[in-house]
Amino acid sequence: MVSLARRNLLHDRLRFVITVAGVAFAVTLVLVQVGLFLGLLDKATVTIRHAGADLWITSRHTPNVDFARTFPETAVLRARGVAGVARADNLIVSFMNVQLPSGAVEGAVVYALADFTAWNLPWDVPEGSAADLKRGYRLLMDRSAVLRYGPFAVGDEREILGRRFRIVGTTREAASFTTTPIVFMDYENAQELLEQLRGNTSYVLVKLAPGADAAAVQAELRRRLPYNDVLTSEQWAAQSRDYWVKSTGLGMNMGVTVFLGVLVGVVIVAQTLYTSAVEHIKEFGTVKAIGGSNLDIYRILGEQALIAAVLGFALGAVFSYGARPLMAGIQLNVLLPPGFIAVVFVGTLLMCLGAALFSFRRVAGIDPALVFRG
Amino acid sequence: MSQNVLRADGVTKVFEEGRQRVEVLRGITMEVGAGEVVALEGPSGSGKTTLLSIVGLILSPTAGEVEVAGTRLRRGDSATQREVRRRSIGFVFQQYNLFPALTALENVEYSLNVRGVRGRRAHDEAARVLERVGLDDRQHFLPRDLSGGQKQRVAIARALAGSPRVLLADEPTANLDTTTGGQILDLFQELARSEGKGLLVVTHDPKVRRIADRVVGIRDGKLAEAA
Repeated sequence: MVSLARRNLLHDRLRFVITVAGVAFAVTLVLVQVGLFLGLLDKATVTIRHAGADLWITSRHTPNVDFARTFPETAVLRARGVAGVARADNLIVSFMNVQLPSGAVEGAVVYALADFTAWNLPWDVPEGSAADLKRGYRLLMDRSAVLRYGPFAVGDEREILGRRFRIVGTTREAASFTTTPIVFMDYENAQELLEQLRGNTSYVLVKLAPGADAAAVQAELRRRLPYNDVLTSEQWAAQSRDYWVKSTGLGMNMGVTVFLGVLVGVVIVAQTLYTSAVEHIKEFGTVKAIGGSNLDIYRILGEQALIAAVLGFALGAVFSYGARPLMAGIQLNVLLPPGFIAVVFVGTLLMCLGAALFSFRRVAGIDPALVFRG
Repeated sequence: MSQNVLRADGVTKVFEEGRQRVEVLRGITMEVGAGEVVALEGPSGSGKTTLLSIVGLILSPTAGEVEVAGTRLRRGDSATQREVRRRSIGFVFQQYNLFPALTALENVEYSLNVRGVRGRRAHDEAARVLERVGLDDRQHFLPRDLSGGQKQRVAIARALAGSPRVLLADEPTANLDTTTGGQILDLFQELARSEGKGLLVVTHDPKVRRIADRVVGIRDGKLAEAA
């Protein structure tokens, strides 16, 4: 079957290129911006997802994992006494200053456990071992810190709150939502650094015994620790994400970006399709004169919109995937999960078909008698 | 007398714009028989094109009836009108109205697609009618690469595709030189004779009379004896 839609698109090459470029721009904008957003949210919960705890005991109303508040570390003893708890350990999470060789001071998020081997923190250790942290003032530093702290290597020393620590290993992907690098050290060392941490902890990580009823354990922990929050990992991750999305305006920002991306796409596609429809109005009149219906013409415009959508999406996806290594170079993770890609693809199809509706309205009223006009 | 393939019976057309009421056609009755060539002549604004639009089922009359290939059309029945137009009427326009992005073959094939003929059948039928109008060597040319006469032949091939019983032509020689226009008229005459199509040609061109079986004049919306 002859496709007038395709042939007209190829006939008006410049317009076609502009349309596809417009869709590609909109798709790239949405994919990269939302991908960055998802990447940031991923960072916001990366330690929660990796730690391997079933339940997190936090200070009451702690907004997210990075903004930890302290409570007495003896809470862990009450947690250990609850039936169904296989293991419970204190975890300190605290912002601390790192003194650099240049004299500059940079921030770090310190994660401190008494026994790292019992938890999946840190989860990616290309150099050294978390077990070495017990042997004095030692730490594992995330490789992303090179952007903030400058080059460093295993064996180097860095000063944290006036205490010299030796770097005994490195980690990967351990950075906070704000891209502040995470430093892992022994629990007692961390407590020694800050007065407010002495006798206190930030969290209690809880691992359930096999077959334990998570809801029942959670309820019992809440009963025993009435001044704390007890959350499942999923609840805690959701709460941490929600904080950044709602409290910082990031969600609104993303919403505006997506809206603008869609708006740009709709305007470009609608404008080019509409202009094309107007320019081909006599051809559409001819289609009607030779027996075609409005549906035949809608089909032409719809097919053109879908072709622009598919090609524009493909191009936009290529650009977005191409941007990932560049973004990764500056520690920005563009997350493009398949589900999200599928949603954007369907959204692009709908956006282009929606834009074609403007042209539908224009051609619906074509008087086929115009074919007799010169 | 040959069987009528087209008949207008008491067709009146009134256009109203605001308070203005213009009666363009006033009770026109005419017919075209199978294999007959009828020339419709008249000055500009006399109602020729409006009559062509009405008998071509593109425009509905204000009063009167139209019958095409044995089907009497009711006013407002646009679905039947479109179906009869698709099946039984072929148009040839003054400006050719070819699809510029499609080759000669595709122009004809596309009109067949619109008429419900698809695939190989459409392709073969398009090639056949192009050969019929003498353009078998120009099948893959775009309209911009064809001369005026060749474009009009493609338009005629498109009108012929699907074997409609009625051909309606609007000033088919207006944009052609004398020689080419003469060739097109010969083609029309030959098609009418050999394929038994009823042909109504709206024209200013006196040369059309050479091929016409009848010449009908139209003045101020009424039929008049042609000179």
